[in-house]
Amino acid sequence: MANPHEWSLPFIGKIPLPPFLSLHALMMVICALLLLLVFGVLYRKDGGTPRGLTNAMEILILFVRDQIAVPNMGESDGKRFTPLLCSLFFFILFMNAMGLIPLFSSATGNINVTAALASLTLVLMIGGGIYRNGPIGFLKSFLPHGVPWPILVILFPIEIVGLFIKPFALTIRLFANMMGGHVVIFSLLGLAVTFGLKAALPAVAMATGIYLLEILVAFLQAFIFTLLSAMFIGSCLHPSH
Amino acid sequence: MEHAASQGLIILGATIGAGLVAIGAGIGIGQIGRGAMEGIARQPDATAKIQTAMLIAAALIEGIALFSEVICLLGLNK
Repeated sequence: MANPHEWSLPFIGKIPLPPFLSLHALMMVICALLLLLVFGVLYRKDGGTPRGLTNAMEILILFVRDQIAVPNMGESDGKRFTPLLCSLFFFILFMNAMGLIPLFSSATGNINVTAALASLTLVLMIGGGIYRNGPIGFLKSFLPHGVPWPILVILFPIEIVGLFIKPFALTIRLFANMMGGHVVIFSLLGLAVTFGLKAALPAVAMATGIYLLEILVAFLQAFIFTLLSAMFIGSCLHPSH
Repeated sequence: MEHAASQGLIILGATIGAGLVAIGAGIGIGQIGRGAMEGIARQPDATAKIQTAMLIAAALIEGIALFSEVICLLGLNK
């Protein structure tokens, strides 16, 4: 695989990166600066009807609050967790979208990045559960009511494993979707390299089709990650069993 | 010879596994699509809700399919 400590640009050459910054880390830093630019500087908060970029971002923010946070976490908790869920949503969305721009790469195509984001969810699940229900109450939420005790003995380890499997699934889903999309595009364009000029036009046409699908997948995966995070955190804050 | 045969078996196993995963995901998401189409045909007013629920279910199934693809890739690299 390519050296992760240099950024290769097509006509300018390879830019070496310092040892504490790999290519995906640089992409994350660029994405964070872009988010600060869009939401800190370009977003107009001075009242009145939103127009332009403010309007576009406001649609997404209201979508996160009204369709993801409040239905899954209740009224008051939903509104308190909305800034966190918005941060997750926009960070993942911008990182996924940067993978589609020619000179950049998507940091979510690295399993370490998605594992870090999913461990955020895990810490919030466990921390929120213990904060809201106390440590004993948190452990009790894994034991459903009205179940005879031999089944409880078997069910408790399975529920504990389920607690850790859910963020692991979030990790792998986001990572595999992003990396898989890029690998498919590379493979299709590699057909043009292997078979010469005759295969170039069909290869580029198919790669363009997959590219358009990747735009949809970028939005969808950011939405799914945020939605499942909200569901998991909500179910730990308000255990119904 | 034996090394070449075991290499071939590794590649065969990993790629056949990946193909089977695609069959499973295709059947699963196809059934979700069928249910969604029938729901929309009965009640066109509920199209937005049905589409949202369909996308969520499809992404969950695709998540499982991609786990298996990652396992196949790991098997290929051994």
